[in-house]
This record gives sequence, structure tokens and C-alpha cells, in this order.
Amino acid sequence: MHTTQKKTYIILTIICLLGYSWLGYNLVITTKPESSAKTVCVIKHTTGIPCPSCGSTRSVISLINGDFSKALYINPLGFLIAVIMILLPFWIITDLVNKKNTLFKFYKKIEIILQKKIIAIPLILIIIINWIWNIIKEL
Amino acid sequence: MLITSRLTNFNLSNQYTNIMTNQKADMFMMTNGKFFPSHQLGHIREKLLKIDENNWGSIQMLQFKDPTTALILSLLVGSLGVDRFYLGHTGLGVGKLLTCGGMGIWQIVDWFLIMGACREKNLETLQRVLY
Repeated sequence: MHTTQKKTYIILTIICLLGYSWLGYNLVITTKPESSAKTVCVIKHTTGIPCPSCGSTRSVISLINGDFSKALYINPLGFLIAVIMILLPFWIITDLVNKKNTLFKFYKKIEIILQKKIIAIPLILIIIINWIWNIIKEL
Repeated sequence: MLITSRLTNFNLSNQYTNIMTNQKADMFMMTNGKFFPSHQLGHIREKLLKIDENNWGSIQMLQFKDPTTALILSLLVGSLGVDRFYLGHTGLGVGKLLTCGGMGIWQIVDWFLIMGACREKNLETLQRVLY
């Protein structure tokens, strides 16, 4: 039990660090003229169609620039990612300082909630609809 | 005379149940061995021999996740996190889905980790009944 908790915190920290460095890299890239951000999406490289979360980097970047409607148009998932990326570091640090596991408890609770069919099926449908919209927009 | 015959009777029935549990345990190991980490198989068999007769029903009702299915899911739709959702690691699945399979890196790492993770998950399921 204790090892899974430690693992969860390590994975979340790594995701957070990688996310911020990826975002920073993209912010620097987009400020330079005549250079476009590269995509690392495997689905897009192999099949040519965008994946459900393609465009979320661009969405977060437009959020940083204050362009909410553009962010919503590019990929609504960007809002979710932005909220997670803002909350996660603070939560991890407060947990580390207070030596509590509130984030881990919350994570486990969310996992159990998401596994309920009543909640899971609508969410899957939303993701699929968003995916179809992504394909239509040709991100 | 009566006592000794009863004693032998008791011994015989005891032996009989022993053989039955042995057979059941072996049968379980043969059909479900592939679902568990190989270094834990001996330990699992020992545990199965010790458990109560009443617990067998609930153990045989258990549903295990197939590592091969997990690998196929990981290879085909790993960047959507479906393999992690299949194992019940919903949080990691959402993480993979939102990050395009961890920018492709996590997805490739999971091709190699997912079968082991699946076997560990099955062991967890079994341990919930065994302990």
C-alpha cells in the first residue's frame, strides 16, 4: 500500500515536470517567427488523423495568451489539462510539507468514481465526440 | 476396537480432503498460472492449500485480467490509455489519454511493463480473497 502511494507521487511529479518543460519548449518555439511546433503524437504520425488530445498544447498556449475562445475551439481538453497543471504542483508540495496523503486519497477516490458505469460511459462518449470534432477540424 | 476404527475413519477422510484440496490447488494453478507473476506461483499454491474449504467458491468465482489482452490493447490503442483502463488503473489511463500516451514515451514503456502490471493486478485480486 505504501509503495503504491510513493509510486503515485513519483509518477505525478514526473508528469508535472515533463508537462511544464514541454509547455516551456513550445512557448519558446511559438514566439519565434517561421517555426512551427512539432507534434510527437504517435497516432498522428502513423495514421495521419489526430488523436483525442491532439491540440491540447496549442489550447493551453492560447489560454496563457488569454484567448479563451480559441482555446475552446482548438481542444476543450486544454482547460482540463490547465487546471490539472496548475493544481498538481501546489498539491504535491503541500502534501510533502505537511507529510499527509490528501492527493493520494483524492486520486483513489476519483479512480473509484470514474470506474462507475454511469459516469464512465458519458465521459467516453464525450471523448469520442471530441475526437470526431478534432478529425473534422483537421488539427 | 470401535475407537480405533473411528480414528482410522477420521484419518482416511482427512487424507481424502487433503488429496482433494491438493487436486483443487493443482487444477487452479494449471488453469490460472499464466495470470500471476511466475516468482509468486509456489507461494500462491502454498496459500491455496491452507485456505478454508468455504473460500474455494469465492476463489473460483474470481475474474482475472488476461496479460495477452492487455498487451494487445497496449500495442493497438496504448496512446489512448485503454490498456491502463483495462487493468483498472483509471488515473494512469486518464493521464495517458490526456498526454497523447505520455508524448509517445510512456506508451512505448508500457508495451514492456503492461504484462507484468497485469499479473501484479491479478495477484492483488487474489490476495483480497486469500488474506
